[in-house]
Amino acid sequence: MDKKVILEVKNLVKKFNDFTAINDISFEIKEGEILGFLGPNGAGKSTSIYCILGLIVSDSGQINIFGKDVIKNRSEIFKEVNYASADFYLPWNLSVWENLYVYAKLYEVPEAKKRINELLDIFEMTHLKDKATRDLSTGLRARASLCKALLNKPRLLLLDEPMASMDPDVVDKGINLLKRIQKEEGITVLYTSHNMWEIEEIANQVIFINHGKIIARGTPLELTQNVLKLEGEEPNLRDVFIHLSRGTDEL
Amino acid sequence: MCSFIYRGGQMNFNRVFAIILRHIFTTMHQLERFFDVIISPVLVLILWGFLSTYVQSIQSQTFAAFLLGGMILWVVFEKVSTDIGVNFMFEIWDRNVINLFASPITFLEFITGLLAISFIKIMIALTSMWLMAGIFYNFQITSLGFGLALLWVNLFIFAVAFGIFNVSLILRYGHSIGPLTWILPFFIQPFAAVFYPISILPPIFQKIAFVIPISHVFEGMRFAFKTGQFDYNNFWAALILNAIYLTASLAFFGYTLRNALRSGRLVKLI
Repeated sequence: MDKKVILEVKNLVKKFNDFTAINDISFEIKEGEILGFLGPNGAGKSTSIYCILGLIVSDSGQINIFGKDVIKNRSEIFKEVNYASADFYLPWNLSVWENLYVYAKLYEVPEAKKRINELLDIFEMTHLKDKATRDLSTGLRARASLCKALLNKPRLLLLDEPMASMDPDVVDKGINLLKRIQKEEGITVLYTSHNMWEIEEIANQVIFINHGKIIARGTPLELTQNVLKLEGEEPNLRDVFIHLSRGTDEL
Repeated sequence: MCSFIYRGGQMNFNRVFAIILRHIFTTMHQLERFFDVIISPVLVLILWGFLSTYVQSIQSQTFAAFLLGGMILWVVFEKVSTDIGVNFMFEIWDRNVINLFASPITFLEFITGLLAISFIKIMIALTSMWLMAGIFYNFQITSLGFGLALLWVNLFIFAVAFGIFNVSLILRYGHSIGPLTWILPFFIQPFAAVFYPISILPPIFQKIAFVIPISHVFEGMRFAFKTGQFDYNNFWAALILNAIYLTASLAFFGYTLRNALRSGRLVKLI
């Protein structure tokens, strides 16, 4: 049976004056998939995510989530969507618990306290719930952001470099936790990162974007084989990234 | 974009409550926010209270009431109008704009939350000033009776229109405009006839005063203190002007939000 399309981006174009940030990109993510969204700095990844979130209005094209137009049905759709980025932590003066409670109210999470405690437990942060967010380490702040991102049991999760600037041990733990929760709750994920190991670990499918255009797509192994013309059985997205960032050949 | 602003006219009060809760938590952790609600209005009251006592001793009790009443009502306008912008700035300082607006909240719900928290704060400030003025200066602003509530409504509406205008300026020019939005109310003060009647202003300034809703509020307050009657003419003038300013402010907000979404300025506010 065909899986449902959760996110559908069709012919998206966004220009800022003369600069084309997104140049006619189209892709979709099916239920339960994890799509790695790769590209060098300034390639258009974050702009695409902001368009999906409705925080930037595109010049043309359409974005449907759960089959509905994002611009017209924002509040209804975003009850079941969430977002996290290592660039944006939760308000610093509030404790971890207070932050999660405010966001639980924003997302109208039923049995908010129970869900918060459940997530704090999963992310091993229960003992830190009364600490101010500013007093947490970078890794713990990112974990708190992930707790926030999972509060509403989202059907679609947008993660924009959620593990950036974390040490490999924290990234490894974070990825394993995410994989576990994603599997348990059947979440569909759009995941951007500059750490290719993260993408190899987590993504079923990968899209590579450069200068606002999708220039390659496939599974991590397919990309490795097609871009690097290799026949091995191990994905090597690091070399794929370097190759695609330096050249512009569309595959 | 409409669904971002108001989602077909529906309002979700859970999300409004979330915004109120966020600022209550912030205030609990940042005592200076609490001082701003009580200490600053009380200090202003002490200053003007002594001045009014002095004026009362050398001139008239009515004039002293004009000064103290004017100051108390001015605080309502000044605090509410700046508080809305400052609370929006908190989301920028906390780099919370993206997380916040990635949630289902609409801008209407967000602004309503900010208004609600300003309302709560100004009620606390008013109560402390009312108690202080009564105890130490024997001044009862409640002697204006039901008229006080009507004056207050007009002040609050104009403060809201002004606050929404401030948020629009921040959306348009970013957080660097923040400090300007805190002093903007004082640009109005000379024309708002807070402590003196419009009639003493030069003719050109009188024209400006007549199109500022709160100048009619202060005129109405003085009329009530002097005659014991409620000035319906000034009340309606203020209400009609407020309707115009509130509409203009909301239209400007819609325009700046639309531009911010198109230009990507909203995500750069962070």
